[in-house]
Amino acid sequence: MRKIFLLVLVFCARYAAAQELFVFTEPASNMAAKSMGFRLNNSFMKNNAADKLNYYLNPEIMWGLSRKIMVHASAFFSNTNSKFTGNGGSLYLKYRVLSVDDIHNHFRLSAYGKYSFNNSAIQQPAIDLTGFNSGYEGGFVATQLINKVALSASTSFLHATDNSSEKFLLGDNNRNAMNYTLSIGKLILPKEYTNYNQTNLNLMLELLGQSNLQTGKNYLDIAPAAQLVFNSRMIVDLGYRYALIKNLERSSPQGIFVRLEYTIFNIY
Amino acid sequence: MKNILFIAALLCSFATKAQVTKVAIQASGLTCSMCSNAINKSLRSIDFVQNVDANIKTSTFEITFKPGTAVDFDKLKKKVEDAGFFVANFTATIHFDKVQLVNDGLVTVDGTTFHFLNIKDQVLDGNKSIQLIDKGYVTAKAYKANGKYTSMECYKTGLAAACCIKDGLKIGARVFQATI
Repeated sequence: MRKIFLLVLVFCARYAAAQELFVFTEPASNMAAKSMGFRLNNSFMKNNAADKLNYYLNPEIMWGLSRKIMVHASAFFSNTNSKFTGNGGSLYLKYRVLSVDDIHNHFRLSAYGKYSFNNSAIQQPAIDLTGFNSGYEGGFVATQLINKVALSASTSFLHATDNSSEKFLLGDNNRNAMNYTLSIGKLILPKEYTNYNQTNLNLMLELLGQSNLQTGKNYLDIAPAAQLVFNSRMIVDLGYRYALIKNLERSSPQGIFVRLEYTIFNIY
Repeated sequence: MKNILFIAALLCSFATKAQVTKVAIQASGLTCSMCSNAINKSLRSIDFVQNVDANIKTSTFEITFKPGTAVDFDKLKKKVEDAGFFVANFTATIHFDKVQLVNDGLVTVDGTTFHFLNIKDQVLDGNKSIQLIDKGYVTAKAYKANGKYTSMECYKTGLAAACCIKDGLKIGARVFQATI
């Protein structure tokens, strides 16, 4: 697996170093132990059925429990019912299984799990545990950092349960799906690091896909993103998600993502 | 009574009483400034650390210490790992008072025991820099490669084994693996 990553990176390698915090996916790396992060995730997605934008707000708290374990807690809000309502929440845990490090270089592998609960009406057969469905997810993510570029891939199994308001759209037999992602990121600025107060600019491109294991239908999105890092502790992300393959339907798959993130080290 | 307390202290805390002028750590597994800042903050949170001078480009951290405090090398390494990274190089500048070094032998400096490998027999006098090469203080590759310079048990564990008793050490005492 490591050789495949390195082959891809040979074609992508440039000068300078790379950040490896992705916008639409989590990398295999962990937060520092005893640190906490706060995120405001905002999605403005084009509603396919009506001529309007759906707005999704997802505040998130992240906690580095140890060097190997981190947990996230999220709440979901949206305006899809013509008023701003709370829809549910989720818990996410990541465990770093393997880390092979060298200077400006690492290969990491982590396992992760997520549990979501949601009360919104189900309007799509695709499973989304970030604000749409109740259910479970478990998977692996691998990240290779090689001085100039960061490459990350993940795969996971998802199971949708019924939302508290209604049953899952595809009935009892089509509730399982696989997610798969491939992400690449590169540092553009600064050209050379001199201090912690320099603004960093990273550009990323992510592929995000899902296949329903029973129906065989799938979707594949391409998501370019830009990331600014201020004073080595605050991050602003801007991304756009575009559907390349759509036969696994979603009510509002395309749109803009804006995130504000702040990290505090050595909380206790 | 004083001896018992001293040995107990040695077993419970591996902070050295040797005069450590500074420690330079190069960390592995990172390139970005936010990652470097995580290590920087982690090292600064240690009570015996006076200052950390970070070079983001080379992933190195030069650490100086509060006067009169004991420096715990293992705690410095642990703080880098707590930040999510690993130590690739650990160089300590220590004051030696005409200390005789023997290759693949043990020497105790101000109560801290070092096992020097891959060196010429020599006398250290004044402020000298030594590199710690215990497991976790160098990359996995380097640790494996250095194993050929010794067959002593303490290289694997970092603790004194039965063969070290002749040098006056208690079994289980901390023995730092080092080279110059």
